[in-house]
Amino acid sequence: MDKKKIGIIGGGISGTCLGYHLSLYDNAEVVVFEKDTIGGASTAKSAGTVCLFDDSLKNRYWDVRLYGFESYLKMEEEEKGSAGFDKTGTLVVATDEKVEATIKTGIALAKAAGYTGEYITDKDKIKEILPDISTENILGAGYTQDDGYFDGTMISNTYAKKMQKNGGAVKTGVKVTEVKVEDKKIKGLKTSDGEDYEFDYVVDCTGPWSKFTGEMVGMDVPIWHTKAEAFFLCPPGKKLGYTFPVLKYPAFYALRAGDNIFICKSHLSMDLSNPMHAGQWDPDKLPATGGTDDYFIDFLLDQLECRVPGIVDSGLVSSWLSYRAEPKDFLPILGETPVEGYILATGYGGNGVIEAPAASRDLAKFIMRGEKTPLLEDWAFERLLK
Amino acid sequence: MNIAVLIKQVPVSNDVSVDPETHALVRATSEGMINPADLNAIEAAMVLKEQTEGKVVVFTMGPPDAEKALRDAMAMGCDESCLITDRCLAGGDTIATAKVLAESIGRYGTFDLILSGALSADGATGQVGAMVAEYMGIPHVAEIQGFAYDESAAGSILAVKKFQGMEFKIKAALPALMSVCFGCNEPRLATLRTKRAAKSKPLEVYTNAELGMAADEIGLEGSPTDVTDSFEPESTRKAQMLSGTPDELARKLKELIEIEKGKE
Repeated sequence: MDKKKIGIIGGGISGTCLGYHLSLYDNAEVVVFEKDTIGGASTAKSAGTVCLFDDSLKNRYWDVRLYGFESYLKMEEEEKGSAGFDKTGTLVVATDEKVEATIKTGIALAKAAGYTGEYITDKDKIKEILPDISTENILGAGYTQDDGYFDGTMISNTYAKKMQKNGGAVKTGVKVTEVKVEDKKIKGLKTSDGEDYEFDYVVDCTGPWSKFTGEMVGMDVPIWHTKAEAFFLCPPGKKLGYTFPVLKYPAFYALRAGDNIFICKSHLSMDLSNPMHAGQWDPDKLPATGGTDDYFIDFLLDQLECRVPGIVDSGLVSSWLSYRAEPKDFLPILGETPVEGYILATGYGGNGVIEAPAASRDLAKFIMRGEKTPLLEDWAFERLLK
Repeated sequence: MNIAVLIKQVPVSNDVSVDPETHALVRATSEGMINPADLNAIEAAMVLKEQTEGKVVVFTMGPPDAEKALRDAMAMGCDESCLITDRCLAGGDTIATAKVLAESIGRYGTFDLILSGALSADGATGQVGAMVAEYMGIPHVAEIQGFAYDESAAGSILAVKKFQGMEFKIKAALPALMSVCFGCNEPRLATLRTKRAAKSKPLEVYTNAELGMAADEIGLEGSPTDVTDSFEPESTRKAQMLSGTPDELARKLKELIEIEKGKE
C-alpha cells in the first residue's frame, strides 16, 4: 500500500484530532506542526461544552454531536482525566417556542441514544437545579445530568499522544514559513527551523490563523473572526453551594470553573456585519488575559439581571478575549480546495470541541481513501464560492 | 477621611527583557494591569473609607491608556481618579515621578491620607511613596500591613507593621503617606455593576500645562538616576527528569536528597 504523507498545520483540537484519526490508517505518515504548544490558543480558551442538546449545532447534525461526545467519554474511560470531563449536566432554557422545539427534538434524540433528558415546565423544579435563575419569561428548560464540559487542551494533548503512539509525529515550537506548491499542487512545506518536508497533503487546521495560512498557497480562505469574550465570575459569598450546570441561553452560556463561573456570549448570536462583534484581525496580537470590550459588560449585565439575577453581583475574577474562526454560515470548512492536496479543516467557530471528532473521522477517510461523506459535502469549501 | 491612592500600571506579562543599550526594561506586550501591591493599598483605603466616610481618589502617572487602570480602580470602589499624562513626563526616574505626583496631589485637593503600594512588580524600587511624602513635607510610614482605626484619635492614625515576627503600631499625624505591603489584605473584586458605574465616575487629566513644572524637574531631564547596568540573573538551576515506578522514583529521590545533603 502506498504511503500518504500528510502535514498538518496547527496543533489545536482540529489538528490533533485529525492527526489521530489519520494515524489509524496504516499507510498514513502524519506530522503535526504547532508553532506554540499543543492545545493552546483558541483551543485553550474554548469552554469545551459538548451538550447533548442545545442550539450550538443544529439537530440535523446530531450524529456529529453524539460522535464527539462519545469519543471523549471513551477517552475518559481509557484514562480518567484525559478529556477533562466535568459531568455537571446541562440546563438549556427555552425563551420562545422555536427554542423550545429545538430542545424537545434534542431531548428525543438523546433519549433514543440511551441518555437521560427531560423538558421541565415546573418552575420550582428548574430553580432546584439552578437556584440563582429567574424563571420569569421562560417557557421551560431542557435538562440532562449526563453531559457537561470537557477540556480542549487536555483532549488535544491526548489525541497528540495517541497519534504519536500510532507512529505520527508532532513538531512544537515550529512555525510553517512556506507551503510548497507547484502547478497548483501541494509539494510540501518549510519550517522556521530550516527543515524542508515533502507531503502529498497539507491540511490547514489553524482556525483563526487560516486567512494567513491560506495566503501561503495563494488562497483567500473566507474566515471572519468573532470575538469570544469570556468572564470568570466569583459568586457572591465566594461559594456556589450547588453543582452549577452548563447553562445555555440563545445569547450566552455559562458553566462552572472550580468555584467560579465561566460566562461567554454564544457564537451564533454574533453578527458578522457588526464591527464590534466580528472582523478580520491578527490572532497573534491577542493578549493572554483581558482585552474585552465595554459593550460586553453592558450586554452581560443586562442578561444576568433578568436571566440569572442570583449571580449578577459576582466578582470579576478575570476575563479574556479569543477569536473564533467563522465562515459566513457559521459552519466549518472541510476538505479539498482549488489547490490539489491542500485541505482545509478550519472554521469550527465556537464548536471545535463538538465537531472535530466526526469531522476528522470523515476527513481522514477522504484523505486516505478518497471517500466523501454527506458531512464533507455539506461543509465543503465550494459551498462558500456560490 | 479623604484618601489618595497612588497606583501604577505594570505589564501583565512576565516576558520582560533588558535593552542592552539603555538598560531600560523592554516589555513584550503593552497590556497592563494595576500593580498588585497597589490593589492592597486600594483595599486598605476602601476599608478606611467605610469606617470614616469621605472619598478615595486614585492617581496614576503614565501613558493615556493608563486610564484603564484608573477605571479598574474605580470599579473596585474608588470615587474619583486623576491621570497625569504628558510626553514630557516620560522617562522620569523615581525622583521626577514623585515630584509630579506630589504636585498633582496638592493641586487636586486636600487629603488626610495618601497610600501607595510598597513595591511595584516591575521596577520594585519602593522609593516613590517615601519621596512623595518628602516632597509634600508629611510623615511617611513604609510597608504597613493595615490600620488600627480609632475614631476618637482625630488628626492621627495607627499603622500596623510587622517585622521579624513582631507587630508594631506606629502612630502618625495626619496628613501622612503610607506604603502598603503586597498580600496584607484581600482586595475586593469589581462586579459587572461596578464596572459599568466606573465608566461614568470622574476622571481628571493633568498634563504639564496644568502642573506647570520646569523642564529640568520632570521626565528624563529631571532624572538624576543613571542606570549603568541592568541584567537578567543567570539561572544555574537544572532540572532532571526521573522516570520509573513510584517505588523506583521514591528510591531515586531519596538518593538525590542524600547527595544534596552531603554537599552542605
